[in-house]
Order: sequence, then C-alpha cells, then structure tokens
Amino acid sequence: MATLSDILHAEDITSLQSLQLFARTVVEGFTTGQHASPHKGFSVEFRQHRPYVQGDEIRRLDWKIFGRTDRFYIREFDEETNLRATVVLDASGSMGYRGQKGILKFDYARKLAASLAYLLMSQQDAVGLITFDAKVRDIIPCRTKITHLHLLLETMVKTEPGKDTSLAPVLESLAQRLKRRGLVILISDFFDDPAALLRSIGVLRKKGHEIIALQLWDRDEIDFPFGNWARFENLENDDDFLLLDPATIRQRYIEAQQNFAEQLKDGFRKHQVDYLSLPTDESHSAALRSYLSLRMR
Amino acid sequence: MSFLNGILLLGAAAFLIPLIIHLLNKRKVVTVRWGAMHLLHEVIRQRKRKMKIEQLLLLITRIAIPIVLALCLARPVLTALRSLGLGSSSLIVMLDDSFSMRAPAAQTTLPGGTVMQQARQDMQTMLTDLPSGSSAQVVLSGGTPRKLLDQATTDLTLVPAKLSDVSSMSGPLSANDAFQAATSALKDAPNAAREVVIVSDFQEADWRAIADGAALPALEGLSKQEPKPQITFYRVGSDLAENLSIASADISALVAAESQPIGLRVRIKNHGKRPWQDVAVHLEADGARLRTARVSLAPEGEAVLSFTHAFDKVGDHSLSVRLEGDSFADDNAFHSIVQVRNQLNVLLIDGSPGSEPLSGAADFLEIALTPHTVAAATLKDLIRTKKIELRKIRNEDLRQQEVIIMADVEKLQGHTQNDIDKFVKEGGGLLVFAGPECDLDWYNREFYRKGQGLYPSAIKGQARADSDAPPARILMQRFTHPAALYFNDARAGRLQDAEFRHWFEFTPQGDQTQRIFNLDRNVPLMIEKKYGRGRVIAAATTANAEWSNLPLQPFFVPLMQRLTTYLATEGSAPAWQFVGSTIRLPLERAELGSEFTLRDPTGQTQTLKSAKEGDAVFVQSPVITQSGIFQLQKVGTEKTTLLAFNIDGAESDLKALPTADIQKIAKRHDAAYADTLPAYQALDRTRRHGSELWQPLLIALLALLFVEVLLQQHIAKG
Repeated sequence: MATLSDILHAEDITSLQSLQLFARTVVEGFTTGQHASPHKGFSVEFRQHRPYVQGDEIRRLDWKIFGRTDRFYIREFDEETNLRATVVLDASGSMGYRGQKGILKFDYARKLAASLAYLLMSQQDAVGLITFDAKVRDIIPCRTKITHLHLLLETMVKTEPGKDTSLAPVLESLAQRLKRRGLVILISDFFDDPAALLRSIGVLRKKGHEIIALQLWDRDEIDFPFGNWARFENLENDDDFLLLDPATIRQRYIEAQQNFAEQLKDGFRKHQVDYLSLPTDESHSAALRSYLSLRMR
Repeated sequence: MSFLNGILLLGAAAFLIPLIIHLLNKRKVVTVRWGAMHLLHEVIRQRKRKMKIEQLLLLITRIAIPIVLALCLARPVLTALRSLGLGSSSLIVMLDDSFSMRAPAAQTTLPGGTVMQQARQDMQTMLTDLPSGSSAQVVLSGGTPRKLLDQATTDLTLVPAKLSDVSSMSGPLSANDAFQAATSALKDAPNAAREVVIVSDFQEADWRAIADGAALPALEGLSKQEPKPQITFYRVGSDLAENLSIASADISALVAAESQPIGLRVRIKNHGKRPWQDVAVHLEADGARLRTARVSLAPEGEAVLSFTHAFDKVGDHSLSVRLEGDSFADDNAFHSIVQVRNQLNVLLIDGSPGSEPLSGAADFLEIALTPHTVAAATLKDLIRTKKIELRKIRNEDLRQQEVIIMADVEKLQGHTQNDIDKFVKEGGGLLVFAGPECDLDWYNREFYRKGQGLYPSAIKGQARADSDAPPARILMQRFTHPAALYFNDARAGRLQDAEFRHWFEFTPQGDQTQRIFNLDRNVPLMIEKKYGRGRVIAAATTANAEWSNLPLQPFFVPLMQRLTTYLATEGSAPAWQFVGSTIRLPLERAELGSEFTLRDPTGQTQTLKSAKEGDAVFVQSPVITQSGIFQLQKVGTEKTTLLAFNIDGAESDLKALPTADIQKIAKRHDAAYADTLPAYQALDRTRRHGSELWQPLLIALLALLFVEVLLQQHIAKG
C-alpha cells in the first residue's frame, strides 16, 4: 500500500504539516463558508455529547438523552464538509520532460497534487483524483476519510507520463462525470490547443465548477538555455523532431512561450478561472503558498 | 594579380576554422526530448527558410573574414595593366614652351628656378623612370606645336640635352593643335604601350574655355586610339601672381615721312591683385632713351599712354617702350619698326571723273592720302598722289609708283591690264574700289579669271539696302589684318558709323584671300589677295560718297593711309612679329645665293642664306626665340633691315586654371592628373606595376566584421 512517504520526502511532509498549520492559522474561520458550498444543510458525523451550556442552540439538544436522564446534552458532530475538490493531474508525454536541473515535470506535478490533497483532506474537504493523457486513465471519487488519501497517493505513484495530450476532450468528459459541483484543480502544462482547451473550460464552468489552473513549466521551457545544435524530439510523438541551432531562435522562442502563457492567462481570466504559473524549480511550499494566497482572494 | 607578401596567403586557410566549427556543431548534436514542441514549431514555421539563408550568410561571412584578412596581409597588387605591355613604352611629352613657363617656379619645388626649369627637371626624372627599351618624343606645344626631335628616340639622354636649348618664348598654347601634334607624334611611337604627358602651367587664358565645356576634338581622338594611350595632365606651377606687362603698342603709321610725328599708343596691364603707383615707362628710339612717363595701375587694371616721335632720317628705325619695376621682366618691353621714307608714290586711276569738286570717284581719296598738301599746310605728306583718268593712262605713269588705286574703273584695256598685272607681281600694291561704272562681266571674266587673275573675288552682283531698310554697317569684331589692327581701339574712330547703301557681293573662294573688314550682312567689305610678290585689296564700295558715307567719316583718312602704306610695304619687314615665328623676307631674283648676317638683341650673329621656293626668292631665319630688335644685313652691303619681335601679351596673365578644373578636363577625357613629381611617379608605378589593393580589402574586412555582428544580432533577435 502506497504511503505518503513514497511520494513525499520526510522534509516535504514536515513542510506540508507546517503548511497545514500555517493554513489553519491563516484560514481560521475561513474554511467554512469560504468554499462556498452549493448544497444546503450539513453532512453529519456524530462525535460526542456534552452538557448544555447557556447559549447553545435549543435545536441541537438530544431529547432522547433528556428523556432517559432528564439532563440536557448537546450532540456534537465533526466539522462540516462543504467542499468537493477534484485534482485533475496531467500525465501526458510532455509532463515527462526532465529539465537540465534534473526535475521531472510529472514528479513535481505529482508532489504538488499530493500536497494539495493532503492539505485539503486535513481541512476535512473531500478530495478526488483524475489522471489523464489522451484520455482519462484513473478516476478516484471524492472522499473525506484520511484512508482515502492512501488510495489517492497510490494512484499517483503508479501513474507515469504517457503519450499524447488531449486536454479538451478530457475536460469535456469530466464535465459529464462530475455530477456534483465542486472545486476542480487542474495540474498540467496545458500543452494543447488553447482555443479548444478554453472551450472545454467554459463547459466545466457552465456546470458550476470552480476551477483552479496550475500550469507547470520547466525552467528550460521558459529560458530555452540550449547552446549547441540540438535535435528536439517530441515526447508525445516519436516521429516529430527538429534539428536546429537553439541560439538562433532563442529570442523568438521566449516570445512565443510568453504569448502562449499570456493567451492562456487571458482565457482563464475570461472564464473566471484562478491561474498560477509554476516553474518546477520553485519549492512546493512556495507553490502551495501561491495557491493559498489565490484562495484567500 | 600578384602579392607582395605571398606567404601570408596561407593564412587564408583559416577559413576552415569557422567551417569546421560549423560542421562540428552540426555533428555534435545533443538530443533533447522535449514537450513544448508546439512552441518550437510555431517559431520554425515562420522562419524556416529565412533561417537557412541567414545561417548560410553567416557561415559565408565567417569564412570570408579570414580569407580577406589573409589577402589583405599578403598585399595583393592589381597588374591587369601589365597586359598592355607597359614593360617598355613610348612616351610623348607635350611640353608647354609658352612664355608664361618662364615665370619663377614655386618656392617649394625649385627655388630660384623657372617653371620651365622645373618642368625640365621633372621630365628628366620621368625619362629616367622609363623602363629600358622605352622611347621618348617631345612636342613643344607653345605657339605652333612642333617636335623637339625628328623621330622618337630610345636614347633617353638625348632629350634633356635637347631640352636645354628650349627657350620657352612661344606664344599661347593651343590645346587642340598641341594634341593634334601629339597624335601625329604617336604614330611614330615604336612601342605598343603609349603614354602622353602634357606638362604645362595650365594658364587660365589657354584652358578656361575647355574647362567650361568647349570641345577638344584632338584629345578625344587621341584618347580613342587603339591601343589606348595613357594620358596624364602634369601641372608645373608658379607662385607669382603679380605681373605688369605691355599688352600692346599701336603705332599710328607703318611708314612715315622724315620729321613726320608718329603716334605710339601703349597699353599697360596689371595682371595682379596689388595696385602699382608711378610705374616708369620709357620710350626708346633706335636704342636711345628719349623720355619717361609714369602711370598708376589699379589691381587687374589697365592704363594707356601715348607717345609721339618724329624721325629725321630716312630708313628703318626702332621704337621701343619699356616699363620698370616688375620682377617678371620679359614682357616689360614692346618693340616695333618704323620705316621712314622721303615719299610714297600712289597712282589714282579715276574711272568716273567729276566736273564738280568731290564728285569724281577718286576725289576723296586724293584728300585722304595727302591732307596736308590739299590743305596747303606746312606739314609734309608722306604720300604723293598722281590722279589720272583711265583713258589717259600710259605705261610710264606706272613707273616709280608703289601703290595703284583704281576707283570705279569700268574695265582695263589689254595693255594697261598687263602693265598693272606685272606691277603687282613685282611687289606693287593695288587697291580697287567698286562703283557704278564697273563692268561686272569684265571683272569676273578678265580681272578675277576664276581665281587666277588679280581681283581677289568673283562678284555675284550689286547689292543694296532699300531706302526703308537700315543701311549696312561694318561688322565690329576684333580685326586681325595688319592694316586694321589700329582700329581695334575705339579711339581710332567709330567704324560702325559708316553706312553702306550699295555694295558688291563678293564670293571669295578658298584660302587665297584674307578678309579685312566685313559688313553686318555677312559679306566682305574689303578683302586681300597676294599676287606674285605684291598684294591686291578689293573694296566692295565706292571711294566717294555715292554708295556710302564712308569718305565722310573722320577715320577715312587714317584708314586709307594705313591701307596704302600697308600695300606699299609689301616686301618690307612687318612692324613687329611674335617671338616663335621666323623672319622671311622676299628678295629680288638676282639676290639668290647672297648671304645675310642676323644680329640678335644680345649681339650674337648668325649667317643666313637666301633660298628659292617656286619663283620666289627669300631669306628665312630659324624660329626666333627672344624678344627685341634684330638686324638683318646683306653681306658685303650696307643694306640693313630692322626687325622687331615681341612676346604674345596673352602669356603675361599668369593666372592658372584651378586644380579642380584641370582635373575636370582630365576626367572628361579619361586622363590622369598629377601636380607633383611623387604623385606622377605613384601614378606611373600604379600603371606599370599595378595598384595595391590592401586598402579596399581592409575596408572589405571591416565591412565583413560589421556584417557578421549585425547578422548575429539579427539572428539572435529572431
């Protein structure tokens, strides 16, 4: 059975725990209601009874115990869950890029997904996971129980970057599958046709889902630091390669990359999707901090 | 193409370095398994073709840089001109030996020497620099161009020796004539490679019109010759800007009577920019100073002085004017010869005598030729006239006469015609005036005789200006005929005031005749023809007031006197000649074989022998190369003829054409220009050995480096 330590180093777990603490401190009273639940009422999990004190709501009195013991007790429940978060993890070929700094993009994505799942579950939110490349590969429905985290992690551990990306149809099919509205966290490099991608985002949004898009970039994909002649082979298609002198197109590549990122950012903003661009050489905690600050807005 | 540092050419192999780097770079390809291919495709799609070209250009530029650098260091020399066979060449030097070349040379080139000496010195170096087997010829280009040597010589030491005799006293350089002479000299050039160098001070007066665009057909022809000669304009210059000169001295009479006052009008010119005060001008007669006048001259100004003098002895006399104070002394004097005679006999043949005063055809002439006698004045006339009617003329009337004037003569009878024919052939002068009595048929048939007769021109007919049309007038232009020179100055009279209503339309043919005056209808008024040893002048109008008001004009008297004395002095020496011409005096046949002694102004003498050319017997001198009074004496007799030689006034203006203008002329005719010997030698070296190319190559190298940086930046920017 996969454990958290299979994915996260001990220091990461420590960091996550401290992050959780940080989150709890910062988000005191924020979790409830912050995740604006679309459903009325509470999901109810009984924890204990305690004696009534003045000021408690009368409707929370346990009348059965009062009948038996003639004393007023209040029924206490676990904290309410009003957030269903689905982490959608891109496992396409392009996520298999290992940059000059040795970081595998998918590895980073996996750790980020685990951290988020942990963070959310420790906040008693229900977390699900969907991995995909050209099509959906695994679906783990949203659960709150801590044991569920192990299932999520196990799935993440066994997933490796596949081949082609086809994000748009995957998101559209997701809109069909996610019956209940909730938070969808997209972790991907979004290397797909931006127009189709944004169209499918639109569909998700129409279904009432709140979306957070976390775009991962390897530092090489931002700076294009290659010097010598290079043969660039497509991670998603073995027949696709380019032989060129990188120095001669660096400037233009950087412009193209910025345009692409800008295009996505604009599209996401139009659909009221929170967007974060995350270079993989940044620490996960920094990434989570960015995430939380995004959520606090 | 050859290289001065050929070994450094090996450096060109360095072009392999960028090529190898380029190829190695391509071979040392790293493989990158890459996700963001769509971004790369987008970049490449826009620039794929352009990138290939840019890469290729960059590679070529990088390869070219070491090659050009190596070429530059190897100092290549372009030797295409060697193929013309410049190993040995034929050099024609057109040396300007005009008088202005005697000006002091520039202080920087030859202190204390003259421009001509500098030219000689430079030419000597030019000749020394010629490869062995080369030939040289010099065309002396001042005045009438002539060859220094009979034939081009390969003995190059001969030229400087011969050049030392060149006195540089010729008249103005006529560029076209000079190039014509050079073209002719070029025909004898033994080598295929030919060079023509014109060595001159490029006086503005000689070259201005050409600089302003006037054609120079001889040079155009020269530059089009095959194989094409290398033409160089070589300027030798003077620093001298200040110069005074006697531009002219006009004498009032060519022949004078004893004690008859002769007027001398002297024009003094300041060619410089500074004013001159009280310049002394001396009048000298027969070598003795008579009087001195003083003049002041404004910058580039002119002053006119008048002197009079009377000689009391019959014979040839010299009259000189000399000014003081000017450093360039050769043009400070002007000399002329005055013939003093007892009397000059003129026969007037009146073709239509009148009963009234001044109604006869020759009446005005009689007064004009003997004004003092007619006025019964105490002054003596030189000319003594004898008027006679045509029908009364006898053979003996022609004896002792020096000039015959025919006025409105219908025609001559056979014997009279023969007598006059003989008279002119033997040196007499004939002046023929037109008139209503003239039988045009006879004039054309017998008198003109298709150019064989006495009369200078055929007569087309009688022309007239209608009463409502303006009359014909004398065309005012610069007169060149010796009898008309005096009238170039407006003070001699207003020739344009004479009005002509009728005139003969002359149709002069060939070069037998010389026009003296023209009418403004583009027809001659007076023309002259040499006939035997004498001269005939035909006037297209009457000598009385019937066809024109010419006889009523104040200048009629001096005009008739000058025409008459001019005709009477045929066979005598002219009043003066330009330096650069020769003395040529006609002699009696009996004098063939006699010897003459010519004494020049410095006292040097040389012996001349009379010679025969056709029927003419004459004595001729070599070209005169100094100004002053010369004496020609027949050996064994006392008979001495005086001759005066002067420098052409045009040569006194030392102003040179600006360098830019000379270069313009040179460029127009595909010629080179040099004004210093080193510049000429560099030019010569370039032609002979080729031109070094390292400078343009260095520029090319810098350009390539610049292009490389630009390309790199451009490519990096994408």
